[in-house]
Amino acid sequence: MELNWSTFLLEIINFLALIWILKHFLYKPVLDVIARRRAGIEDLLAKAQHLHDEADTLKAEYENRLIDWEQERQQARENLGQELNEERARQMETLQTLLAQEREKVQAAESRQRAKSARAIESKALQQSAQFATHLLTQAVGPELEERLFDLLVSNLSNLSADKVTVLSRQWGKLPEGITIASAYPLTDERKNKLEKTLAGLSGRYFSIQYKQDPSLLAGLNVTIGDWVLHANIRDELKGFTEFAYAAD
Amino acid sequence: MNEETLLVKLGPLMITSTVVTTWVIMGLIWICSWLITRKLRIDPGPLQSATEGIVSSIEAAVAAVDAQHAQKIMPFIGSLWIFLVIANLSSLIPGIHAPTRDLSATSALAIVVFFSTHWFGIRIQGLKEYLRHFLSPSPILLPFNLISEITRTVALAVRLFGNMMSLEMAALLILLVAGFLAPIPIMMLHIVEALVQAYIFGMLALIYVAGGIQSHKLREKKQGDSHA
Repeated sequence: MELNWSTFLLEIINFLALIWILKHFLYKPVLDVIARRRAGIEDLLAKAQHLHDEADTLKAEYENRLIDWEQERQQARENLGQELNEERARQMETLQTLLAQEREKVQAAESRQRAKSARAIESKALQQSAQFATHLLTQAVGPELEERLFDLLVSNLSNLSADKVTVLSRQWGKLPEGITIASAYPLTDERKNKLEKTLAGLSGRYFSIQYKQDPSLLAGLNVTIGDWVLHANIRDELKGFTEFAYAAD
Repeated sequence: MNEETLLVKLGPLMITSTVVTTWVIMGLIWICSWLITRKLRIDPGPLQSATEGIVSSIEAAVAAVDAQHAQKIMPFIGSLWIFLVIANLSSLIPGIHAPTRDLSATSALAIVVFFSTHWFGIRIQGLKEYLRHFLSPSPILLPFNLISEITRTVALAVRLFGNMMSLEMAALLILLVAGFLAPIPIMMLHIVEALVQAYIFGMLALIYVAGGIQSHKLREKKQGDSHA
């Protein structure tokens, strides 16, 4: 347990040298590499944090965009619904207009059909009435009817207006050849004279009149003055009535 | 015991086995450090990981006591721990005596700690501020503070020397008395004791150094509290 001063001094020197050795060959390199690694880790952490922040930012942007999209979608849906309602209303209005037009067309067609049916019925009734009248008059005619028709003819000729008399005179002036008077029954002389006087009163002159009998007239007279023919008989009246009935068909 | 002390005498210098063992230990530490740190990588292997673990643990232990000046203190305290662990465990090799069983070596380490305490204290606080802490909390305590500085240094040297020498003596006596395998439990106890003594020596040195550095902080804190 002696204190060797030489050892004491050498140990002090040795330990100071050891401190230098360890400091330069162990602590410094090891601490440097630890510091580099720590810096690398901190850099990675900073990058990771940066990426995390960017991700958070992107996430926030994405969420905001989703919200915007949702609002836009909702708005678009509302607009679409509104447009659909408007289009539906417009289509309904158009449809109702078309339906009204179609209804009017149908009503018009029905009216036309009813009118046509009425005309057909009327025509049929006219035809039947003409046939009935023809059949009835065919069986009911006789000299009495012819007398009444003769009187009616004479009366009508006597009561013609001045304008018609002028027209007749102008036409008769071009046709002076003669007059043919047909009758269903033979005319008496008295009637012939009465008729000739009436015609002379109208024209102002006498004609040569040729009388003939035509039973097909059924009853009445048929006065022919050139192209001008005066019908005052049952046959021609029925014929006109029948033609009118068929013309109306 | 003195027969292994003197190996070579170079004038006034006597090269003892303690010095030679210390040189060998220094050489081993130097070579190992160089081998380990010549190809350090960011992605470490097992050996580099263990080395980094040791250095980081030392740094963390120093920072736990004085985080502000850990960078300055750590090489000194770390060197103490590394050297003392290896030196204490070197006696497990047959024929080798631990340098720390030599009072000259432990005294040298203790005196280095003594001067380091003052060195770091003066370097960080300045001479005036550092010397003022001997007068605190009262100038009356100046002699006691000075005696404390000396006695704790002596205690530091003698504690390590006594423990290591006694362990070697115990192992030697048991070997002489009980034979071949009987000293093994004592040698296992030696391992534990070597680690504990290295830790105690280094930790006490750290506390002394940190105490010298932080004395002004305690004073400033007290002044701040009194003003408040």
